[in-house]
Amino acid sequence: MLSFEHVSYRYPDAPSQALTDISFSLRPGEYVVLLGSNGSGKSTLAQLTNGLLLPEAGRVRIGDLQTDNRMTIRELRSQVGFVAQNPDNQIVSTTVLDEVAFGPENLGFEREKIRANVTKALEALGLVGFEERDPNSLSGGEKQRLVIAGLLAMDPVFLVLDEPTSMLDAEGRAEVREAIAKLHAQGHGILHITHELHYAHEADRVLALKDGQLVYDGNPAALLSEDNLLVDFGLKADDKGDDKGDGPFCHACENMTKGTVPFVIPSSSLKLQAVHYSYNFNTPEERAVLKGVDLTIDLGSYTLISGSTGSGKSTLLRILAGLLAPTKGQVSFSTGKEIKPGDVGIVFQHPESQLFARSVEEEILFGPNNLGLLSGATKEERAQLVTEALAAVGLDPQAFTQRSPFTLSGGEMRRVAIASVLAMHPSFMLLDEPTAGLDAQGRAFIHRLIAQLQESGAGLVVVSHDIEEFQQRAQDHLTLRDGRLWRL
Amino acid sequence: MALVVPFGQYVPGTSIVHRLDARMKLLVVVTFVLALFLAQGWLGLLICTALLLALYLTAKIPLRRAARGLKPILILLTFTFLANALTLSALPLGEAPLIQNANPFAGPFALPESISFTAGGGFGFKPPGALRGLYFALRIVLLVCVTSLLTYTTPIVSLTDGMVSLMRPLAKLRVPTEDIAMMFSIALRFIPITAEEAEKIMVAQSARGAVFNKGGLIKRARAWLPVIIPLFVSLFRRADELASAMETRCYRGKGRTHLRTTQLRAADLAIGGFGAVALILIGILL
Repeated sequence: MLSFEHVSYRYPDAPSQALTDISFSLRPGEYVVLLGSNGSGKSTLAQLTNGLLLPEAGRVRIGDLQTDNRMTIRELRSQVGFVAQNPDNQIVSTTVLDEVAFGPENLGFEREKIRANVTKALEALGLVGFEERDPNSLSGGEKQRLVIAGLLAMDPVFLVLDEPTSMLDAEGRAEVREAIAKLHAQGHGILHITHELHYAHEADRVLALKDGQLVYDGNPAALLSEDNLLVDFGLKADDKGDDKGDGPFCHACENMTKGTVPFVIPSSSLKLQAVHYSYNFNTPEERAVLKGVDLTIDLGSYTLISGSTGSGKSTLLRILAGLLAPTKGQVSFSTGKEIKPGDVGIVFQHPESQLFARSVEEEILFGPNNLGLLSGATKEERAQLVTEALAAVGLDPQAFTQRSPFTLSGGEMRRVAIASVLAMHPSFMLLDEPTAGLDAQGRAFIHRLIAQLQESGAGLVVVSHDIEEFQQRAQDHLTLRDGRLWRL
Repeated sequence: MALVVPFGQYVPGTSIVHRLDARMKLLVVVTFVLALFLAQGWLGLLICTALLLALYLTAKIPLRRAARGLKPILILLTFTFLANALTLSALPLGEAPLIQNANPFAGPFALPESISFTAGGGFGFKPPGALRGLYFALRIVLLVCVTSLLTYTTPIVSLTDGMVSLMRPLAKLRVPTEDIAMMFSIALRFIPITAEEAEKIMVAQSARGAVFNKGGLIKRARAWLPVIIPLFVSLFRRADELASAMETRCYRGKGRTHLRTTQLRAADLAIGGFGAVALILIGILL
């Protein structure tokens, strides 16, 4: 049995506790889903299960093995497999076979035992035939299955999975979900940590974490039928809507201001005509991704473009933003003006990974400065631009202007990154998987932001594989398949 | 933006050159390079050239590909040739080195420039200098082509495995060979990931109006900060997560067992051994 006994944890220098007095246990063979919104303390809890973090008070143990005993930590870790979010950062080897053998080799197993365990793990995760492949050549779902196989080969009793599907596309999610069900059926105890409610349906038991406290431990059905509880725990946005009546209620949106956006490039639409794009153009390795795409994005419109991984969505976005020239075809504003980098606002997937400046203010002014929008602007005008951009994403300008972007929470970083694009006053905004990895509140924020931008007259394009999330709100839904756009 | 691969990229094949154990290939390449520097005249160099041509043909690697690999060093080759052809002519005719011992001053690792510049004096094109330039240039060409052949016919993974395996006896001298092998492996895995990430950040900053190729040196260097800072932040986060993943899987540098066997076949040993001895002899005798 994996037990937490009155466990508390506080990060060094943190003002408050990440976890307070957590007690629960996980029995071998049991499938438990732990739910919690971003910042509820669920990743901290995950890292406490196998001694990556040690409790400040209380203890974590499996039988007689306690995580704070350095003498037995390896034995404990061989019993608790830990899977983190990003599969790329958990793979150490250059072939699939070596990767799965890595754990057993570390445990000093005999060659025959390693071979048997590796074979068993590859079979369980459906990776037979992949042995000599380079992990970099695998899809996200395959990589995460490889990570799980590597842990399975160590003969663990429990598997702890911390948001194992949050970095994956729809296909990868399905694969990992299936793998979890299979491992459960084979008798492994599983603790699956997530903010996505739908996983709870399959669980034997559900735990819920809110602000570092365990607020629910029991039957999944009983929790899932209680909308009030789910909203209170931050697992669901209140879809009754707020007084303004646009979209689900969102705490972060309370301070959001619409403002009037002076568009930098006056134009009524963005046009793609018979656009083709090939990688390695005019070489023997030429690979065509776009084969004649026609698309018009009008001001004030909202278009969803879906498509599977590798369908060319990112390529299309880059062409729309003027960052990539098509190998054939026309891309321009309706006025005939050519699209140059910076003319169209684009929020890439995980935009927080582009933050670099010393302060939020500097970060937001980076784009406008590069585009020459601030030449001759007074100090007050600059400050005004920062204030507006922050207000547009619901962040208090007074509190955030001078902070370093790297001290912000994940959600705040994403909003600063979006503000840094909005500050360039683009008339068209492209968003690539804007809700990836966000919890209920984060998603509500994105939908509200899109609604407000549309209302202020901007033309919007969202690219996502998550059709359900956007299709009701978007006016137009196109899908990219075989290098062409299809209307649905 | 493609990652620039030093030397050649692996070309799959089944030739004997492909199948030879990576450790033996490394040994042969090292002795080949030694022979190139030990050789005292044209005969040794021409035999090496013939050998390398034969190896390329056996491995079925098109020579065009090897020629393409020489493009980046074209300037170096031209310079080597011209520096010798032009400056050596200052020597009185009678003292000009003969063809047979074209590099009398060259020790095993002597650089062509170090000799040619000692001559000093006026400029002018003279055949003996040109010949010597040709000799040095050919030596560089062979050097690059032999290492390229190694990378054309050996997957990078086998190469690092080979290097680590050759290093293994050092473990007795308390050199942490397992840890070094691990570092190689991690580096190999993360080079393409990091390159891709750098490209993504670059595009994202271009979308914010960043320009990377304008202005003076300092301005350009500054322009890269918005790419380099996020890249480092990300690398540190990756390192942190990777360390956790390795701890989770009980990594330790000592006392690991290994799934893959590293036994050399008799044929590998024979080819590698004979090849190395033959090359050393060529180098010493010719």
